[in-house]
Amino acid sequence: MSAATTSNSPGKWVVLPHYAFAAVAFLALSVLLLFSTDAFSGHYFHPKLLTLTHVAVLGWATMIIFGALYQLLPVVLDCKLYSEKLAIYTFGLLGAGTILLSYSFWNFQLGWTMHAAACALVAAFILFNINITQTARKAPKWTIEADFIVTSGIWLLVTGIVGLLMAVNFTFPFLPLDHVHYLKLHAHIGMAGWFLLLIIGVGVKLIPMFLLAHPEDSKKLNWAYNLINAGLVLFIFDHMLLQTKLLPLYGVMVALGVGMFILYLRDAKNTMQRKEIDLGMQQTFVALAILLLPLILLFVVSSNLNLPQQLLSSIYLVYGISVFLGFVSALILGQTFKTLPFIVWMHAYENHVGRFKTPLPKDMYSHSFLRWQNIFYLIGLVVLIAGVLLREQQIILAGSIAFTITAILYTVNVFQMLLHKAHNLKPFTYGKANA
Amino acid sequence: MEKQTHEESGPEVFETLKYIIDPEVGINIVDLGLVYKVSLEEEKLHVDLTLTTPGCPMSGTIVTATEQILLKRFPNLDIKVELVWTPMWTTEMITEEGMRQLNRKS
Repeated sequence: MSAATTSNSPGKWVVLPHYAFAAVAFLALSVLLLFSTDAFSGHYFHPKLLTLTHVAVLGWATMIIFGALYQLLPVVLDCKLYSEKLAIYTFGLLGAGTILLSYSFWNFQLGWTMHAAACALVAAFILFNINITQTARKAPKWTIEADFIVTSGIWLLVTGIVGLLMAVNFTFPFLPLDHVHYLKLHAHIGMAGWFLLLIIGVGVKLIPMFLLAHPEDSKKLNWAYNLINAGLVLFIFDHMLLQTKLLPLYGVMVALGVGMFILYLRDAKNTMQRKEIDLGMQQTFVALAILLLPLILLFVVSSNLNLPQQLLSSIYLVYGISVFLGFVSALILGQTFKTLPFIVWMHAYENHVGRFKTPLPKDMYSHSFLRWQNIFYLIGLVVLIAGVLLREQQIILAGSIAFTITAILYTVNVFQMLLHKAHNLKPFTYGKANA
Repeated sequence: MEKQTHEESGPEVFETLKYIIDPEVGINIVDLGLVYKVSLEEEKLHVDLTLTTPGCPMSGTIVTATEQILLKRFPNLDIKVELVWTPMWTTEMITEEGMRQLNRKS
């Protein structure tokens, strides 16, 4: 038998602040949503919508993904994180950049605050790339998961650089085409290049692990990787240089890539030994189902269907909502409860296990809050989308209220875990262990 | 996979290890099939165990738990716990009792 190494986990101060920041950002996002019901009646290039989007993608999604990835990268790649210091600097830059950028968009201040924010974010993405690339280089075996994760980091940096150029262009115009043109590029590289690739890269390892399944065939994942990246690269070239009518074709490539990932997960589900699907995994499957919506809308927004302009504007908004408040948020709302309890448990009880009876990670948060969180989330998403399509501010407000309740329940649960301390532990009394 | 040597090393060791619960699955490490080998030579108790996936963040915690609980239960023995990855753990290694517990949770 070959000997293995012990835990590669980083320190808790590398990981846990990301979860705290993200929970507060999600709460802030839902409160901002309450005050933005008037912003959904027009074009998506609106200060309030830009604020909401960036709080969602940076403060909420990217922040928690960074934190979770520092914990999960050693699991996926089977080696230690390259640098904990770099991770902490990255956290500071991402946090400061997000707050400054949100302030700039909300007040539509396009000067130095926005430039400083964009620079801080690009610096954060550079440090993040150095950290994950160097970590991946130490991995004993280069896997398809490493391909997904490292490539997603590069796309994140490209997204950030395009964003920085746009921020500078607000004050010193130098880009040849209008802003919306670059905004489409910025958004799609972020959505497909960063979020989708990263989520697939981590998901192919974690989801089978949580289901106690061992799918063997990685060919589908190779196809998924190649199709999504090829679709994205072709889209960028076409959008920037050629401007043909082939955009739906690139959308098909990305959708087929996602399909391959879903087929891989179906293989995992077919071999899973765990019959119990807990609330965290249920929410994960809800997220995967929601992913269908933006994939369908991708064809609508990339094809010239001659829809009325007002309807097209609403569809664009629903497209964005279905990605960021839909797929990505749903996944985070579920996976937080598959990762955070274990991280906190490990740090709280690592010196006590084997000597005292310890609670299980699933005992460290309220399942009732989690159940209601998932219910209010789905209600909020459906009502919000209906409100945007119907252009009814009252319905949008109702959806925003449901989102705020979701965020409150989520934040209470997250902080209950973050503040958890080991206490009143009882030593083992030996008898019948399985009794 | 090397058979778990209940008879050779005594069921007491396995009974003790059943107190260690895999925090994700909620089933003890013996019935989950993570304990590959237990051997006792003179005063040295040697345990080989694995995890459900390589790089598992719980590896250090589970190894420490195994060492702690065995030290407490068998204070006169020299305890050595080794984490191994071959053969790779599969769900077929879950015992009947483990499967019963998994299904009971559904």
